[in-house]
Amino acid sequence: MVSSIRIWKNQLFILLVYLSGFITVSLLFLGFILLLSKGFQSLSLEFLLSPMREGGISGGIFYQILGTLILAITTLFIVFPLSMGFALVKSIYIQKAFVKKTMELFLYILNGIPSVLFGIFGFFFFVKYLGWGKSWFTGGFLLAMMILPTTTLALSEGINRISSEYIENGLALGMRKTQIIFSIILPQSFSSFLSGVLLGLARAVGETAPIMFTATIFSGATIPTGVKESPILSLPYHIFNLVQESYHPQALSNAWGSSLVLIMLVILISGIALPFRLRAHEEAKV
Amino acid sequence: MGILVFVSSKAILSKPTFPFSVTGAFSLIFTLVSLLFFCGMALFLLIQGSPIFFQEQLSFITDADWFYRINQYGAASMIYGTILVSFLAIVLSLPFALGSAILTSEFLPNSIRVYVKSFIELLAGIPSVVYGLLGVLFLRPLIFKWFAPFSPESGDTLLTASVILAVMILPTVMSLSEDALRGVSKEHREVALSLGLTRLETFVHGVLPRAIPGIIAAVLLGLGRALGETIAVYLVIGRADNRLSDSLFSLKPLFEAGQTITSKLGGSELYIAYGEPTHWSAMIGLGLILFVFVGVIVAMGEAVNWLGRKYQHG
Repeated sequence: MVSSIRIWKNQLFILLVYLSGFITVSLLFLGFILLLSKGFQSLSLEFLLSPMREGGISGGIFYQILGTLILAITTLFIVFPLSMGFALVKSIYIQKAFVKKTMELFLYILNGIPSVLFGIFGFFFFVKYLGWGKSWFTGGFLLAMMILPTTTLALSEGINRISSEYIENGLALGMRKTQIIFSIILPQSFSSFLSGVLLGLARAVGETAPIMFTATIFSGATIPTGVKESPILSLPYHIFNLVQESYHPQALSNAWGSSLVLIMLVILISGIALPFRLRAHEEAKV
Repeated sequence: MGILVFVSSKAILSKPTFPFSVTGAFSLIFTLVSLLFFCGMALFLLIQGSPIFFQEQLSFITDADWFYRINQYGAASMIYGTILVSFLAIVLSLPFALGSAILTSEFLPNSIRVYVKSFIELLAGIPSVVYGLLGVLFLRPLIFKWFAPFSPESGDTLLTASVILAVMILPTVMSLSEDALRGVSKEHREVALSLGLTRLETFVHGVLPRAIPGIIAAVLLGLGRALGETIAVYLVIGRADNRLSDSLFSLKPLFEAGQTITSKLGGSELYIAYGEPTHWSAMIGLGLILFVFVGVIVAMGEAVNWLGRKYQHG
């Protein structure tokens, strides 16, 4: 019978879908739980608050956390104005559809550039050509450039969603373009922008490749005092080095602890982004 | 009509009402800074990377002889490693990614779907160095044990790198494919079901054709990620130079250590290369090849997306 073949095929399809979905999600969940439990075993207040000793084998990760926070804040301060300006130019000051489309494609391609290329370019330009040596500023700048496409696209999407009546009302009130930008366009698209920035930042915080040649060293740095020759320690690079000494059990345990702290940081930043993301979704529906 | 008004009111904004505004000037400066950086980066790759193509000519990409001490550079084994590892990663992750995307979008009730989706998106945010840690500690011994009949030298193999990459890109591919499937309107499913089609037929004939551009774009994006991933691959691939088997279709290289473009670029050889023009140019040449690969794949993904939108809106 034809229909019974149809039903059998359908049952097989449903079975396969459930099977692959179940395997995927449960394996990933298992891995995640493993990561958390291993991390929590080696986490303590002392681990968080004391500096590293004996090349990562004992001691904590205080300066690594500090360094990662310094990088994150630098990135935030650089990416905020740059992507705001870029998005305003892209969606307000330029109206030619062709130029807009080209810029958009350009941004998508930039978004795909492998992060290690940022590291190499930064190494050549900042570390060697400008002679800055390793510096926290270079790291923050490169990370900002890495997430710039994401944040710019987020803001310009937010601007495109603003209902035209708001802008027309502004024009009818006789507002100048600058006034419209600051009192209508930016406030109305702020949630989209902020959620884009925070999601980008969550990605930047965990990156190793752009900063390993340009900003961070494994040991011997504390709080940077200048820009030139002022490297920092950072969590991703710390883990990267400890993994390569993974035959040492204590180094390994510290790597788990550091990974957990890094993941927590990423989750924290994405968590802060969540309400803004929801609001941006609501704005999109109106 | 609404759209017409929308366009025109923003078009008014684009006309300079004042010859000069501070906001406009700053926006322009910031845009120029960003564009300058990216153009500088592209120029850097082109100018510093191209001399090696003049020196080694085609043998830079066809020969597997990278010996920087005798000034000989052939990157074939790295290009081979990059392509093999990322394609295998896509092949490995696609059934799982698509299966779970179909499950969440077509079968799960909305209340569970939200949790699955947020969990998967959480995984997409986990830093690559953490995936590297998991790969070194769990996958490496497993691969060594399971594939003992193939007598691998260690657990650091191209296969290990592919599996890690497959896990890393799975959340991206799954989440974006799920978005594409959800983007198909409910009516298509309801009409097909009401005609008496089974779930499978509904999916294959009603949903899939409309979601396929989005799924292809998701796969291409995953591929782009896989090509450019550095840290996790670096930790598990073994970083052995110039391994290239005689036959392209032999499975042997999968169980041997190898090298990808990114694992080469991420290594400390970069410090050695700086200051020796040919060696440096060879390294940047590798970067240039990677850049071209990724650029082509992202552009392809955008083209597919664009075609899909055009097709859907008639």
